[in-house]
Amino acid sequence: MYYRQSILFFGLIIPLLIAGLVVGGAFYARHNVAESFSTKEKQFKLYEQNKRSADALDKDLVTKRDHVKRWKSLLAEETKSQVNNHIRKIQDSPLGKEFQQTSTESLNSQGGFASVSAQKSSQIRLGFRGTYRALQRAFLDLETRMPQLQMQEIKIDANATQASMNNVDVTYTAWEN
Amino acid sequence: MSRIYDRRSGDWSEGPAITTELLRDGEKVVAFAHQIIELARQVRANALGVLLYLADEFATAELRSEYDNPADLTELRATAVADPATLFEGASISSDEQSYRLFPYPAAGGEAIATGIALSKQHGLFFDQLRSVSEEQNFPVIAHALSAPLVALLAVPEAAKPTRNKPFMAVLYYSPFTVIAFFNEHGDLRLLRTIQHRGQRRPLNLRDITTTTLAALELSDPDVFILPLTRNADPTVLVDLQSKFTKSRVDTVDWTQTSFSHRNIPAYCPELLIATRPASEAMTGFSSTYESLVADKWVQQNFLPVPLEVAEIYPTHKEVKLLRTIRLARVAVVVIALLTIAWALLGLFQMTRQPAWAFEPQEAATVQKSVAALTVERQQIDHWDNLLEDRSKGWTAMELLCRLFPENSGLLVKGFNHTTRPEPAPGKAKVGFVKEWRITGFTREEGLERLNTINSRDGINAIFAEVAKVTGNDAYRPDVGNRSTLVNVRLQENNSFRPRSTEELLTADTTSYRHSFELIITQRFEASDPLALNVSKAP
Repeated sequence: MYYRQSILFFGLIIPLLIAGLVVGGAFYARHNVAESFSTKEKQFKLYEQNKRSADALDKDLVTKRDHVKRWKSLLAEETKSQVNNHIRKIQDSPLGKEFQQTSTESLNSQGGFASVSAQKSSQIRLGFRGTYRALQRAFLDLETRMPQLQMQEIKIDANATQASMNNVDVTYTAWEN
Repeated sequence: MSRIYDRRSGDWSEGPAITTELLRDGEKVVAFAHQIIELARQVRANALGVLLYLADEFATAELRSEYDNPADLTELRATAVADPATLFEGASISSDEQSYRLFPYPAAGGEAIATGIALSKQHGLFFDQLRSVSEEQNFPVIAHALSAPLVALLAVPEAAKPTRNKPFMAVLYYSPFTVIAFFNEHGDLRLLRTIQHRGQRRPLNLRDITTTTLAALELSDPDVFILPLTRNADPTVLVDLQSKFTKSRVDTVDWTQTSFSHRNIPAYCPELLIATRPASEAMTGFSSTYESLVADKWVQQNFLPVPLEVAEIYPTHKEVKLLRTIRLARVAVVVIALLTIAWALLGLFQMTRQPAWAFEPQEAATVQKSVAALTVERQQIDHWDNLLEDRSKGWTAMELLCRLFPENSGLLVKGFNHTTRPEPAPGKAKVGFVKEWRITGFTREEGLERLNTINSRDGINAIFAEVAKVTGNDAYRPDVGNRSTLVNVRLQENNSFRPRSTEELLTADTTSYRHSFELIITQRFEASDPLALNVSKAP
């Protein structure tokens, strides 16, 4: 049995070691690649989910962006001058003859909705005299042009001298950007 | 002469011519070796065995008397090969020139337990050349030199069919010598004797020698069997012995009438068939001698083995078997390794076919940033959507007043005050709010019904729903969220009232109204209401 050890060593042990290395290498490589691929697959699923979300969000937002743009331009302007400008424009219309602006006052105190919101805002009090319908139309016009106006208080009194005329005091909270 | 035996088919055929001259000529031996290897290859054999039956010489050597223990036979057998001088009598024993093998005498009560068989190594050259060509041709050739008389001895029980319980002697008649084997009544071998012919055709003094030997062995009237193993056997030997052993059975074995006969093998060469056939029951069951000869392969001892130092460089039979087994194991291991690689590659291939394989992780970051940006944008829009909701508008408040008090309803409104105030809720993301309408005025009798309608839950809700429908302002919808609307009407006698006829009544004349009233409407919006206000700053 002179060659027994050599036969066992070179014929079995060495091939077994090499095969072990190959098998081990194959297992290691597949495990590593599978693990890496699993991570990549998770990222890919997240990516697809995000992409779907992004597409849905974008589709939703694309219709609103024009409005947002307009809002931002409105919110960027100073409230008092903006209100006065709009009232002047309303007064230039045929309706303007039926009411008059009697006062404009910026308030320093934070009342109404402004008292609970962290959003920047300003407050303005306006005084008018005019017919009921003209004043209602004027408010409709003003509040449509300036959606940032949240009415805090409105007070209407019948004019003491002219039965068809009313005195109106209105206080607004105007949101600002 | 030579014959070829095919183990697969069991057929014998004539082999290449072999002569004494060829056995001693190296070049001819080489040519012969090439020839037999080529023949083996032609019949797709994977190995070749060469059996050389040595029938040109036979000599015995006496075992030293101190070796008398049959239990030591195995050890003595090995010693006979390696160091014959210690075992056998005779000073001229040289293992370089002679090859010695032990051969047992299993009969009980004998003087010697075994004898030595000595053959010269004159055919060593033939075997060396044969093995050399085998190596050169890379074709396995196993060469074995057998003593022909020992092989022939094995056939005695079956060929001669000795009488049971009677001693006998077998005369193995070769051309250059005669070997006489003496058996006792139990069929056990007592002695081997050789008579050299010394150029004669037949053994001289055969009768005398057998007579004295039988006397020495104390065997009387044995049967005599002559086994002719030469083509020129002298028939007078039979006559000679018959005349001597008149009370015994004296027979000459006719090989053609035995099972050791084949059409392609000369009748005087039965050894070829004896050595290649498995031992029969007639042999092994004949006596303990034959049982031992078969079981321990005493007759198959190789007289020209590969020298130990040379044999060591060749793998043994076990090693070759191990090598073959390992080869199979290696194939299995390689298959497993290949299957594992295939499995790994298949897995890899399947992965590469997935869309995720080509995916670049940077794209995920880009999309994630995009989602984050869009989410912020969405939050900003939602925030401003919330802040800009129509929760409190002047023109709708005025529309409510009109809907509460239609013209000619017998009611005169003198004062209208509407406020909106939030309900702080610290820590909450949204807050609810309260809207209050405080209206003062005068009413005639017909206006009381309207005030009663306003003062009822269904009545005020119907008016609010109408305003919501007309203005499109959801703040007036009573069916959204958990909004609650409370109405409080307080009536008082008008102290300045003066009764008048219907024709004298003026709408603006407060003295024409019997009652004054104060109407307070309170509408509450919970923090869970869709119009509840975000308290945070725009993101």
